[in-house]
Amino acid sequence: MTQRHAIAIDTDNSPPRTARRLRWYVLLPLCCVGCLDSLPGKPTEADRYRRPDTIMDFATLYKQHCSGCHGADGTLGPAPPLNDSMFLTIISDAEIKQVLDHGRAGTPMPAMNQKQGGPLTDQQIEALIAGIREKWGAKSSATSESLPKYAVSVHANGQPVGDPIAGKQTFADSCASCHGEEGRGDHALNDRGFLGTISNQALRRIIITGRPDLGMPNYQEAGEESGAGKPLSSEDIDDLVALLSSWRSAETDESK
Amino acid sequence: MKSALMKFLWWFEHRLELRKTIWPVMRHPIPRDLRTQVGWLYVFGSTAMTLFVLQIITGIGLGMVYVPSAGEAYESLEHINYEVELGWMLRAIHNWSANGMVVLVVVHMTQVFLMGAYKYPRELTWIIGVLLLLLTVGMAFTGQVLRWDADSYWGLGVGVAMIGRIPWIGPQLVELLMGGPTMGADTLSRFFALHVFIIPGILFVALGIHLYLVVRKGISEPPVPSEPVDPATYVEKYEEKLKTGDPFFPDVFLRDAVFIGLTLLVVVGLSAILGPKGPSAPPDPTLMQVEPLPDWYFLPLFAVLALSPPSLETAIILIAPVIIVAALFLVPIFSGKGQRSPRRRPVAVLAVILFLLCYCVLWQLGVQEPWSPHMSAWSGEPVPESMIKGRSPKQLQGAAILQEKTCRNCHALDGRGGQRGPDLTDVATRLTRDQLVRQVIQGGGNMPAYGKEMNRDEVDALVSFLETLKPDGYAAAESSVVTDRSD
Repeated sequence: MTQRHAIAIDTDNSPPRTARRLRWYVLLPLCCVGCLDSLPGKPTEADRYRRPDTIMDFATLYKQHCSGCHGADGTLGPAPPLNDSMFLTIISDAEIKQVLDHGRAGTPMPAMNQKQGGPLTDQQIEALIAGIREKWGAKSSATSESLPKYAVSVHANGQPVGDPIAGKQTFADSCASCHGEEGRGDHALNDRGFLGTISNQALRRIIITGRPDLGMPNYQEAGEESGAGKPLSSEDIDDLVALLSSWRSAETDESK
Repeated sequence: MKSALMKFLWWFEHRLELRKTIWPVMRHPIPRDLRTQVGWLYVFGSTAMTLFVLQIITGIGLGMVYVPSAGEAYESLEHINYEVELGWMLRAIHNWSANGMVVLVVVHMTQVFLMGAYKYPRELTWIIGVLLLLLTVGMAFTGQVLRWDADSYWGLGVGVAMIGRIPWIGPQLVELLMGGPTMGADTLSRFFALHVFIIPGILFVALGIHLYLVVRKGISEPPVPSEPVDPATYVEKYEEKLKTGDPFFPDVFLRDAVFIGLTLLVVVGLSAILGPKGPSAPPDPTLMQVEPLPDWYFLPLFAVLALSPPSLETAIILIAPVIIVAALFLVPIFSGKGQRSPRRRPVAVLAVILFLLCYCVLWQLGVQEPWSPHMSAWSGEPVPESMIKGRSPKQLQGAAILQEKTCRNCHALDGRGGQRGPDLTDVATRLTRDQLVRQVIQGGGNMPAYGKEMNRDEVDALVSFLETLKPDGYAAAESSVVTDRSD
């Protein structure tokens, strides 16, 4: 028995059979453990429950707290798109934070900060802003200087700066083809249900950026397609906001 | 070498005498009618028992790491899941074989019931079997409690609230079970003791008696309509059949072994693919975002409790279980002889179908929990894009208001959202503008009034959006009463 074994070792350069077998006995279970670790059922860190106020992942935060109104991919929601590089160029982080913290008065946008009764912490709001910028922010070198400014200017009495009379002409030139004469067409704007649920700031934003997801042109396209043949100026936009604001007050007066 | 081994074994056999005790049991005869395909219906009991053994093995493994203390249990579960080598697999197998055991116990019981195998002389086997069912359910519930997460915490709350309603002794029972009037430090220890010592202990004894009876009274032969059970002649006839029977081991056992093997493969496969269950959110009552659900076998009960009117609650909680359990125990007493074949026992077959139907319908309701608003739907369920495209600015504002006023938490659009109120996808075919305005402002039919939550413009915008919600080509709802006073 021992003799035969010795011969086998002599004629074969590879390790003795017992040693080879032993290697398998060691390797096989190790392989199995390795395979078991890569099974789909193995819970990963992603499966670990996280308290809602410790979630920092942008995709999760956006899905849970924003997608309801702003759309699954930041477009085609009832609220203006966030997946809009022009919007993200004209608005500053501080302004986005202000909207997220306190909501937008006069619109359905609610306050999202826990300090204001919302669901999110300061850190989560920062994560959302960073995520929105990273995912949807302008990739080109367009700067906010070349675009109309974001913030709506107001008089001391809160009325928007701008001339509603001049706005009427701009409206007829650039907006009436879709929104109808005096804003009373299919896509009417001169309507309490609309003007009563949207703020002047939101109006200004939509005039500047349009609703690319719904086919509404931005200030540039709207101006160029009109009789004027050039983009709407910041003053034109002021005038349009003033006009819409005057329609809003007129409607309110009528209803009194 | 071989003879040395045999010598060694004989040394034991000489002292144990297994050939005279266990071997005859292993070889006990089984009617040869089981040789046909019908024999495959006799494998569920032994498989359920095998899963119980698997539960004990994996349970012991888990017991080595699990900490049964309210403060540390959750962390120890996470530790098993994420840090202990293959700990997740242990939890997964424990979970899936528990599920399998519940299923197989019920399947086994249904088979015994439908084939009339509980009749004379096997009535006591059935009665002990019902006890085993109750113990299995008890194991399932206490096991759910040990998975000390939000589902477990709130499930325990419901369980003890039910026990607390028992007249006179309810509060004392609750205190005994939880180690105090409310969930506290001792609660988990008590349930650990129940799950690991008390219930398995009773289960062992009951299973022993069950098996003893199975072997003593023999496996029932497949029912034949022309041979009803007559206690006066049954035993004689049965023993006649056994004379030509097959020995349990290895002939009949092989079939059991095949099914047990398949079941174990399924359990391990499910564990490998789907992994362990939970733990979900920690058992922290301050976490408002959790929507707890009991484990699937308790979902029908969950649905019954959620849907029963308050006036019937106590009756459903206290009287129905007594009736159901009593009925199960008394089945062999009231129908212990006569026809065994399901072909001649329509009431028995219908009873099984009725039970399964009720269970499935209530289960489905339990999954959907339509009585419970989905608290995050308003901000997490997008408005379907088809309801956005082509809408006017006012209608878009209305859709945003629908979300912001949390209408979606109770109302679905395209099936997504809460189920508490009707799906609004084609609400405009059902309600006119006036009716929509009235419904929003005044509520009604279980819906709260939103008149004070919204101003006139918001209602206007919201209703304008709702008016667009109808399928293409469908007419809008019309008022059944003409309210136009101009004529």
